Amino acid sequence: MQDYKVIGMKKDEIIPIAQKMRNDGIYLVMIHGYMDKNDVPVIRYDYAVGSTVESYSVEGETVLPTISHIYDTAAEWPERELNELFGWTFEGLDVSKRLFLPEDMLETEGKGQIMVKPLEELRKLNEVCTEKKEGLE
Amino acid sequence: MSYIVPIGPYHPALEEPIHATLYTEGEVIKDADVYVGYNHRGIEKLATTKNAIQTLVLVERVCGICSHSHAFTYAMCVEKINGIEVPKRGQYIRVVTAELERLHSHLLWAGIACHIIGHDSMFMHIWDVRETVMDLLEKLSGNRVNYAMVTIGGSRRDIDDDLRKEILAGCKKMKTALDRIVDMVVNDRTIAMRTKGVGVLPYEDAIRMGAVGPHARASGVKIDVRKDAPYSSYEDFDFDIPMVESGDVYARIVVRALECYESIKIIRQALKNLPEGPINLGNKLVKIQEGQAVCRHEAPRGQLSHMVVGTGAFENHRVSVHVPSYKNTPTIPFMLRNNTVADAGLIIASIDPCFSCLDR
Repeated sequence: MQDYKVIGMKKDEIIPIAQKMRNDGIYLVMIHGYMDKNDVPVIRYDYAVGSTVESYSVEGETVLPTISHIYDTAAEWPERELNELFGWTFEGLDVSKRLFLPEDMLETEGKGQIMVKPLEELRKLNEVCTEKKEGLE
Repeated sequence: MSYIVPIGPYHPALEEPIHATLYTEGEVIKDADVYVGYNHRGIEKLATTKNAIQTLVLVERVCGICSHSHAFTYAMCVEKINGIEVPKRGQYIRVVTAELERLHSHLLWAGIACHIIGHDSMFMHIWDVRETVMDLLEKLSGNRVNYAMVTIGGSRRDIDDDLRKEILAGCKKMKTALDRIVDMVVNDRTIAMRTKGVGVLPYEDAIRMGAVGPHARASGVKIDVRKDAPYSSYEDFDFDIPMVESGDVYARIVVRALECYESIKIIRQALKNLPEGPINLGNKLVKIQEGQAVCRHEAPRGQLSHMVVGTGAFENHRVSVHVPSYKNTPTIPFMLRNNTVADAGLIIASIDPCFSCLDR
């Protein structure tokens, strides 16, 4: 049976916990992020400890240390994704390249961050930008 | 002489769009970069406005090959948040569909791999076997691509006695055909020459980069969610995890070939011991209660994880989909190093990439 456990942690515990997990040979499932219903950013570091997913949670932080030097690409890509879709900063992470969204995306002025804006707002912006593009042509 | 060779995003050797930049020294690749994102459809964003049943339909369309895996994992998450217990028969039917899907995916990949190395007659033999699986899936679900076999709280369609016999007969037929094909592929000198020692991913690097699924198992990493964290009654079945240690393209072929046998074994056990009882808990639309869950599933390509956050409304607050290719794609530049440009297409294909899944 798969279990799921949420454990709260502080921002400065991210690196020591990641280092400890890496030394114990524990697999990093994913770094998940979302804005909760009060618009507080939540970031979750999910580790597979046996059959349990231990989810270490940091709330209310938008500037975080990178763990890509510990978990290599398994952490680098999720961090790049969170940087792109939410606009959170990972100190020490190279974000010069894009993962998913185009750099010239007019809707979000090239910033990505589609997970922060409501869908309705993005749709309206899309209409405005489509007209703008057609005007340019 | 040094050159920069671009491959993709649209290229005959690639099934799906990825862009790879190869920095070469003559014929040999010295370094490489990969770029993804050509298939980004914003499915995670769209899912925030959908209810549970609509999201099942939506996530099934993330990928054409492992569509059942996505619906399966999403349903597991919602069931975990709401504390729903799936009836045993429903769990077994989900497993049968998942294993048929794995067979179909592995055979599809093996066919394409043979096509890339120029062995087209083998490609046709393998896809002939794949057609048997596709027919079985069509009989089971009515569809060839998006099976729609999962609903919140169980399975959508039952397996009656005739169908059970038909699938068992299909498995027998497949096993005979597989014996012949696996013998040819594994012992063929041409295939061995083309794939042995190509695109090597050593054990330490597979662990370092967090490779998953058959790709990691071909490098000797023992990782399989079905054994590590059993779900949906996988603990009831007796099966092995095939492992090879050499970590080259040849090893990936062997691992996937052996996994086909294990899948047939699981399907047989599930159908022979199919429990009596209901297949689901009715089709009532559920509210996603306040809370969150992460569930993992062993998709054909490796570990697939979904995270669902609910706030007590019908709609999801957040669905996060993370697929095996997310972990396997960053290993491509490493594997390409010190191989020739001629092998680049094969090495990229050897992880069984699914960029539709990855980009979402």
